Amino acid sequence: MNWRYRFVFSLLLLMFVAILGRLFYWQVVRASDLYILAQSQYGKVLQITPKRGEMRTLDGFPIAANKVSYLVFANPRQIKDKKEVSKIISKVLDIDVASISAQLELPRFWVPLKHDADFKTKKAIESLEIAGIGFEEKYTRLYAEASMAAHLLGIVGKNDEGKDKGYFGLEGYYDRLLGGKEGYIVKIQDALGRPILSKNSENKTYVDGSSLILGIERPIQFMVEKKLKEGVEMYGADSGMIGVMNPETGRIIAMASYPAFNPGEYSLLSEDIFVNPFVSSGYEPGSTLKPIVMAVAFEEGVVDPDTKCPICDGPLTIGEYEIRTWNDEYRKGSNMVDIIVHSDNIGMVYVAQKLGVDRMISSLTKFGIGNLTYIDSQGEIAPSLKAREAWYPVDLATSGFGQGISVTPIGLLTAFSAIANSGKMMQPQIVAAVESPTGEVSRIEPKALGTPISEATAKVMTEILVTAVNKGEAQWARLKGYRIAGKTGTASIPVKGHYDPSSTIASFIGFAPADNPKFAMLVILNKPTVAIFGAETAAPIFFSISRDILSYYEIPPSE
Amino acid sequence: MKKSILIISLPVIAIIFLAVAQTVLSNVLSTSGVEVSKISSEIEFYKTENLLLKEKLYRQESLENVASRASELGFVKSKHQLIISPTRTVLTRILSEIK
Repeated sequence: MNWRYRFVFSLLLLMFVAILGRLFYWQVVRASDLYILAQSQYGKVLQITPKRGEMRTLDGFPIAANKVSYLVFANPRQIKDKKEVSKIISKVLDIDVASISAQLELPRFWVPLKHDADFKTKKAIESLEIAGIGFEEKYTRLYAEASMAAHLLGIVGKNDEGKDKGYFGLEGYYDRLLGGKEGYIVKIQDALGRPILSKNSENKTYVDGSSLILGIERPIQFMVEKKLKEGVEMYGADSGMIGVMNPETGRIIAMASYPAFNPGEYSLLSEDIFVNPFVSSGYEPGSTLKPIVMAVAFEEGVVDPDTKCPICDGPLTIGEYEIRTWNDEYRKGSNMVDIIVHSDNIGMVYVAQKLGVDRMISSLTKFGIGNLTYIDSQGEIAPSLKAREAWYPVDLATSGFGQGISVTPIGLLTAFSAIANSGKMMQPQIVAAVESPTGEVSRIEPKALGTPISEATAKVMTEILVTAVNKGEAQWARLKGYRIAGKTGTASIPVKGHYDPSSTIASFIGFAPADNPKFAMLVILNKPTVAIFGAETAAPIFFSISRDILSYYEIPPSE
Repeated sequence: MKKSILIISLPVIAIIFLAVAQTVLSNVLSTSGVEVSKISSEIEFYKTENLLLKEKLYRQESLENVASRASELGFVKSKHQLIISPTRTVLTRILSEIK
């Protein structure tokens, strides 16, 4: 071959290799950079905020849904007469002129004017036809039942990046599930910004939030809240709370605290009010703990219902402390049934002493006292039991009648429900099922926390609690015709190492119908002033609610 | 000669045909963007309408609203409950007599 041919061939080959190398560089090595550059030129990136999952009550009503709202924004560079526009816009948005004017004076292309504006406001502004004003559609929470179950639901606030985030209650606990996953779509457009029909490149990770189906029964929740409000006002209490639970499954049927709040107006309120006291506050339960201690004593075999109390004939002195009954009445030779029926503190000291510190601690722990119940709500606390070495004789004595021990209301209701459920303690659960964005429903199965007492002990204790309702201090308020098991409670409030002599926490705990319980309920009134005892305040609220729940469940009287 | 002309002309015709087809299709697709934009905004409009109607519906269905409407209309809660025991009905008596 002629050298000229070889030279031309080599030159062409070299050029070909060079071109190949360059193509490899741009199409393989720099492919991703070029892709992004190209997209920025012909594509428009649209951020997709996932729709937050709803929360529905057992009847399917969305107690927390989504509504359309708008972020009103402006491009100050497009607005000529800023003073006039500020005046007009401020009237429609109900914001002072100075704030709007200050925003419009900023040397920017985009300034926010108002978050969460409603559809009417948007229409009103659109009708003004002001150039430079725009809207961004968003979803915000809609609470059609206003403040109903507010403490249970929690709130949806903003995180550091200004994005929606759930805080407190269910919103906080299930935030990731409800919130879904953000994504974006790249829309291909022409030079004039018009979309071109093409395959959109979509981020596969985009997922809407899942919805929660609560075990809450809306009519019962509504009624409980109404009666709680009336009760707090009638008895001049500082606050109050009620929890209703199905003892067989642990499902929360209703839970209310008063004063309540509207989660849609959270930005106007102090943070303290968002905390659900039923799961996040500890208190000394007083006499409502007596059935638990007595059940433990029966289970351990240290006493039986017929055991006579040898120390119940007068006040008792332990160290420097004198222990008395709530009404200063003493019954010589009372048995264990009488002790519960008359809520006898001295009798309970006898029971506690028979149990001893070790058995008291281990048995209370079996009932979950000092531990979390693992309810699906953010912010649950578990006031811990004292360490073994910190138990003095007076601590053992007072623990028998529920003083010197702190529990959360949900902890007490969960423990007490074990008596109603043949000794089996169930984990309290607010959410009954989760519905994925595609409509698949996953049920949450009931979970047992343990079996602190036997079925036989639970039966005996139930009978004693029925007698306590029928013959105890709250018998005047009882619901005739029904067998209801229950116990009053009037607890002293510890303040700086002493008990407040002027105020109490009045409560009533019980379940109905006693032979086949459909619900267990705890009613607590904080510092009632009209009357201080649980039998006079919390008990009538308990029986009034019980009457309506039994009627709602269509359970006829048994007696 | 004729065969070679045929071999050359077929791909040329095919190329011309495909080029024309692509031009026509591109033309159609490029202008359909306006339609797509219209349809998209219509979908958005109806989605918003749907949500607004749902919002109205939920507010109407809320127990808070039902209770206040009932109270305005003069409904009061019944103070007495009539419970019919299944053992006391006439039908159960007759049935037990038949048995």
